[in-house]
Amino acid sequence: MRWLIRRVLKKGKSSISYEDDTHYGEILTIGRASDQAIFLPDLRAALNHASVTAIGNGKYRVESLIIAGIRVNGEITYSITVGAGAVIELGSTRLTLLDARGDYDAAVEVSSIDKSEQAAMLSKRKKPTSLSETWISKRWPSWLGFIVVLTLGLLLPAATHVVPGLNTVLRYSPLPSTAFWNPGEIDAAHQFFATDCTRCHQHAFLMVRDTACTSCHVKTKAHADPAKFNIPALGDARCGTCHQDHNGQRGMISKDQRLCADCHADLKDRTKGASQIADIADFGDAHPQFHVNLPGWTAAGEFMPKSMPWASGLKENSGLKFNHEKHLKTDGLNTPNGRKVLTCENCHQTDAAGAAMKPIAFETMCHECHQLGFDTLAPDREVPHANVEAVTYTLDEFYARRGLEGGYADARAPTIVQERRRPGSPPLSRQEQVEALAWARDRAREAARTLFTGKACVTCHSISPPAAGESTWRVAPVRVSGIWYVDANFVHAKHATKACVDCHEGALTSQASNDLLIPGIDNCRECHGGAHASGKVASTCIACHAYHRSPLLTLDKQQ
Amino acid sequence: MHDSILTHAKSRYLWISIGLSVVSIALYLWHDPGVAPNGGTWLGYTLGTIAALIIVLLLLFGIRKRSYSTTLGSTRGWLSAHIYLGTTLILLVLLHCGFQFGWNLHTFALVLMLIVIFSGFFGVYAYLRYPTLMTRNRESATRDAMLEEIQEIDQNALALADGIAPEIHAVVLRSIENTKLGGGVWTQLRARDGSDIAIARIRAAIEKRETQLGAAPAPMQAGQTIIAMVDFLAGRADDKQSEALRKLIDILSRKRSLATRVARDIQYQAIMEIWLYFHVPLSIALLAALIGHIISVFFYW
Repeated sequence: MRWLIRRVLKKGKSSISYEDDTHYGEILTIGRASDQAIFLPDLRAALNHASVTAIGNGKYRVESLIIAGIRVNGEITYSITVGAGAVIELGSTRLTLLDARGDYDAAVEVSSIDKSEQAAMLSKRKKPTSLSETWISKRWPSWLGFIVVLTLGLLLPAATHVVPGLNTVLRYSPLPSTAFWNPGEIDAAHQFFATDCTRCHQHAFLMVRDTACTSCHVKTKAHADPAKFNIPALGDARCGTCHQDHNGQRGMISKDQRLCADCHADLKDRTKGASQIADIADFGDAHPQFHVNLPGWTAAGEFMPKSMPWASGLKENSGLKFNHEKHLKTDGLNTPNGRKVLTCENCHQTDAAGAAMKPIAFETMCHECHQLGFDTLAPDREVPHANVEAVTYTLDEFYARRGLEGGYADARAPTIVQERRRPGSPPLSRQEQVEALAWARDRAREAARTLFTGKACVTCHSISPPAAGESTWRVAPVRVSGIWYVDANFVHAKHATKACVDCHEGALTSQASNDLLIPGIDNCRECHGGAHASGKVASTCIACHAYHRSPLLTLDKQQ
Repeated sequence: MHDSILTHAKSRYLWISIGLSVVSIALYLWHDPGVAPNGGTWLGYTLGTIAALIIVLLLLFGIRKRSYSTTLGSTRGWLSAHIYLGTTLILLVLLHCGFQFGWNLHTFALVLMLIVIFSGFFGVYAYLRYPTLMTRNRESATRDAMLEEIQEIDQNALALADGIAPEIHAVVLRSIENTKLGGGVWTQLRARDGSDIAIARIRAAIEKRETQLGAAPAPMQAGQTIIAMVDFLAGRADDKQSEALRKLIDILSRKRSLATRVARDIQYQAIMEIWLYFHVPLSIALLAALIGHIISVFFYW
């Protein structure tokens, strides 16, 4: 086998000449030993460093003969089959395997690598020694992070404000919608439109307008007329001043005492006398005595409660006679249905809301014992309650029928009334009818007098006899004020853990119905204090009072 | 006392940060907004504004440290402020949000900020710890000097080995090829010179070749040039050769210690830099989140 060994000789800068040599043998040996086909006087080469075998078809097999290996095409290798054009680098020598040419079976070109090229190759082969030389970077991740966060966090949700329907699309996609802006859970009552930010936030970069609230809350009452009272804080207040959403489901009603006290602490001065409401700053130590509504009547007889400060020993006039002590005996009362012990709840029952007490009802509460019978011969018959005229009618009609039918077994009655009429008897004569009806009228009047003045009505009511020429008895009106404290929202049910007499002191021993058993502020203060009370229930203004309570103005009209 | 970044200007920024924290906590405890504390109260807005300004100031540090001509405070002072004010941010922002968190942009910005700050804590740790280790590791040489010395040793070792035996020469040649300092991110951080892979490859190749030749595979310990030489020394060296071999082992030991130190030097430098590849891009992302947070809050006011 004939090898062509072509040496490239550089003369000067650009002049190149070749020196061809022929090597006979299968294997081309490379090394620093003098017997090598290609002799390399370079310490970086071993004596017998590598061998190249031509294996036909223009292919060569390069093998390293030492454990350091040989660099073929830039990579250290031990044995590799390559085609023509492969480059072997060893120290400062480069061997390029060539296609067989002429009558040679194989060819190799030997050239030297100059110093600057060697240095360049070395530095090219050098691995990065600092992170800035590696693939990681600070610049492009910064740009990427900035753009991605700004786009997904701001631009995309903001675009929903101008592109209709986009928010709906985003909400059903994994991409962030305006929900990504939601700073906190929406109030429970607003949850049903919580996905639509623009229901409240109608204008970008403007605070929520009151019109957004009043579009639903149409009937909400205003507090007071800002024009009348000249309080800027009242006129400037937005709904959102007190009602802030996104603070969780617990609600948006602010219980902050300052919302009230900031104005009410010196309301008279602040309004220059337009308001006469007493100064109030704190329930615990800056709240006047309650004003209680006591029953009263005008000269014309119209009910007109009188409001006055609560005071110990204050008397009320409901028109009723009632002795609490007698009814609440601990050993009970004799009733038609046996012995019964009465408690407060027998008569005082709260309304369906558990707030106020329902009015006392004669029929369900008194009647079991206080029956309105009027005739021992007809013990089941009673007159109706509360309708004086109907009492007279009932008695007149009852006795007229008894007189005309006869069979009334009262020895004092005329014979015609006592006589029982048999079937087939002739009708009463005109004279007999007159006699029977005369008895009936007298008997009815007597029964009425007995009822009104003797055993029934007068027990509880003040009675006046009929005026001259009249037959109607007069019963003084009976009424409590209904709501004793009209400006406060008191709820009995919330105080169910207390006994009635804890607040309504003296109820068990009161003998007169004009004892005012409604407690004043001191009673409440035993448990309740102001906003900063310690050891008591901290109660701010809206624990009892409402803000939206103007009788005339509503928020939507005020706007 | 040595003026470190933490004690710069008598710890001026530490005291500023402590003052800011104490005032913020006091205001937060005193403030009773009537609702749950949140970013929308006057204190919330105030703390938020301060925190946003501090974030911008901290971001400006990235510009300041490149501006060599500016006279606006020393870089060391800026870094000291950067560290202390950055730490204070955790408190300010938590008070700003009233400890309200959710799956939203606002909490996302907070989380980004915390990651940036905690990556910065690692940076502080690295800056306080590694320069000393680096100096000690270099033994008052520079990395270039160590690399040059390695090159010289390579030349000398080759010459020495050539005078001993071709096998030794080959082993030294291999040792030179295997000494690769630096590499990818992981390689730099783990102080590997990459020779393990090369050694494994070489060993596999040798075994393959020796199996082909029918000889028993020589037990080669991983890259242990020196062990190979000791084997040789014990085997068949005469006095002169063993003298040269000892010398060769000496200088190769020196080379190995140098290579280890260079690898460690690269590792220290990489550890001191790697956190910045998180800190800087995340802080820029935080800037975007902050812009989004502020604009979105007032967009739907």
